[in-house]
Amino acid sequence: MLKSVNLTKKYGNFTALNELNLSVKEGDIFCLLGANGAGKSTTINLFLNFISPSAGSATINGLDVSKHDKETKQLLSYIPENLMLYPNLTGMENLDFFCGLGNKNYSKQELENLLLQSGLQADFMNRRVSSYSKGMRQKVGIALARAREAKVLLLDEPTSGLDPKASNEFSELLLEMKGNGVATLMATHDLFRAKETGTHIGIMKQGVLIEHFESDEVSFQDLEKMYLKHMHN
Amino acid sequence: MSALLHIAKKEIRIAFRERLIVFLGIIIMVLLGISLFAGFVSYEQQKEIITKTENDKRQEWLNQGDKHPHIAAHYGTFAFKPKTVLSLFDFGLDAYTGTSVYLEAHNQHEFMFRPAQDHSSMIRFGELSSSLVLQVLLPLLIIFLSFSSYTKEKESGTLKLLMSQGVSANAITWGKILAYCIILLIMLMPFFVGLILIANATANNDSLPDVASRTALLITIYAIYLFLVITIAVWISMKSLTGRNALLTLLTFWTFFVILMPKTVANLSESFYPLPSMREFKAGIEESKLNGLDGQTPRSVRMAELETEYLEKYKVDSLSQLPFNFEGVSMQAGEDYGNMVYDHHYEGIRAIFSKQNRLGSIASIFNPFIATQHLSMSLSGTDLHTFNHFENEVEEYRRMLVRRMNNDMAENSKYGEFYEYAAGEELWEEIDGFYYTAPTFFFALRPYYLELLSLLAWVVFTIFLLKRSNKKLKPIHG
Repeated sequence: MLKSVNLTKKYGNFTALNELNLSVKEGDIFCLLGANGAGKSTTINLFLNFISPSAGSATINGLDVSKHDKETKQLLSYIPENLMLYPNLTGMENLDFFCGLGNKNYSKQELENLLLQSGLQADFMNRRVSSYSKGMRQKVGIALARAREAKVLLLDEPTSGLDPKASNEFSELLLEMKGNGVATLMATHDLFRAKETGTHIGIMKQGVLIEHFESDEVSFQDLEKMYLKHMHN
Repeated sequence: MSALLHIAKKEIRIAFRERLIVFLGIIIMVLLGISLFAGFVSYEQQKEIITKTENDKRQEWLNQGDKHPHIAAHYGTFAFKPKTVLSLFDFGLDAYTGTSVYLEAHNQHEFMFRPAQDHSSMIRFGELSSSLVLQVLLPLLIIFLSFSSYTKEKESGTLKLLMSQGVSANAITWGKILAYCIILLIMLMPFFVGLILIANATANNDSLPDVASRTALLITIYAIYLFLVITIAVWISMKSLTGRNALLTLLTFWTFFVILMPKTVANLSESFYPLPSMREFKAGIEESKLNGLDGQTPRSVRMAELETEYLEKYKVDSLSQLPFNFEGVSMQAGEDYGNMVYDHHYEGIRAIFSKQNRLGSIASIFNPFIATQHLSMSLSGTDLHTFNHFENEVEEYRRMLVRRMNNDMAENSKYGEFYEYAAGEELWEEIDGFYYTAPTFFFALRPYYLELLSLLAWVVFTIFLLKRSNKKLKPIHG
């Protein structure tokens, strides 16, 4: 579903991402671990076609994202670290608006169900987003991904700053979407969450994918050791 | 519904939830309502005063009694500049050009009763007219409405979310522009409906022959102007990194285009093409009348030449032998020469005005505010060209009146019997009252082709600018 071939991004002499090769299939959750500046967000931004690659290609469903911007974006949903919605609109209105952009028109009842299924309390649906916590906004993001019937989920540190309960709820939603065949690429610092929810884990350092394995292959302790070893070298 | 329409709907919803925008919008609507109402009241009052005074003066002319035609030509009458219905929308130069003029033989009097004379110097900052609100204040509201249209999206990160949905920059930009256009339409609709109703109600009784067409064109010109302000504001927001930067840039643009540049152009045009003082101007006319336009042919010489010409032409020895009263002929000849002198000196003044206006028109190429200001005055019938048209019509009427008096004197009285001959009501009735009809909008707009081109060029330019910037728009740098 998601594939990068020798994907490279340079800013002058600085290489933010160097010849990344990865593949995320339907139902996979690929977690990219790494310190700040390792190239995780650059990878996500390249798949989103927010920046252009210096070399290589990023494809979604076989389509090069830089050549098929509209088509590939119709397949994906993106949740950044801090999902910002329109504060003067309610959760319902925000969801309705973003669904409308993708030509997905839902009734009020359907929108309510989507938000409920994503864990947003009914009391908050018709309140302005300015009163929402970060976790509540991320839930609207998940509801949007469901509503758009996204085949691909691009997540840029989505659980950063969430309390453990909200983080756990978020992981459950990801696993539910995984069950529906959604391919997920998630950049994260959270080793525990990566091990718990990820099917594949990659460790990045200075723009290079230095380790890549299935999450079942390692225990949490081994993952932690491996990660710390790479970070300190 | 397309993404563009969804974005427009969202922008409208958000704008109506912003208290500051709603507050400013209400203020603009109230100001427009007040200006329209005050303008209408003033229009009705002035129309009534002018109609009454015109009738009084007409009756005075008709009932002046029996007298010598030349004395009647000096008794004279008055011409009044009618207030156009659209002047309630744009006062233009009405406060400076004067409203009435005394018409008599030999002298082309200047216009009297300039409203600006009765006001303090504060009038220089502009009276509250609808055009002032639309040209100057409404752009400020647009700035507050749209300065953060893009910067807020960038700063908060919603632009990333928007663009991750596959929405094109084109749809986002034009959706926002459409939303602001709709908001303005909602805000201005009551005002324009009011203006159309007033214009329609008074159209048959106005000095403007084509009020409906002019009103439609006025609305079109303002729609283009406000569209330009919106597109420029959205573009600056798109190019700015923060809302603060966008607001500062837009306020700087507003100050430059709306306040500084028009005043600077006006001052420069006065410096480059200075007008003579009223004293110099009048002295020049007197000198030309006295010693001729060449400065070497005084009136006595001109009259002697005329006498000789007529004596030779009619082969008589004395003026009393002519088959008409030579005094009437000499009066008219003096009048014709006086007219030539006035034409010569007024042409000079108008040439200077024309150069000054030309500079303003050239400046309008770089400033759509100036272009809109000029076109608005022209369509409202309150610009200099319309005033010149009125002035010419009045002068033509004065010359016709005096000529008719002199001809009557030549035809019906005898040489040397100045006080013995008297004409009566029959002659006075031959002179119709002066009623002014302004030129059509096509004629009125002719001197403003640069302004029209300017607005069109700005529309093309801003669309091109947005198209180019939309192509480059990314939610993050890189």
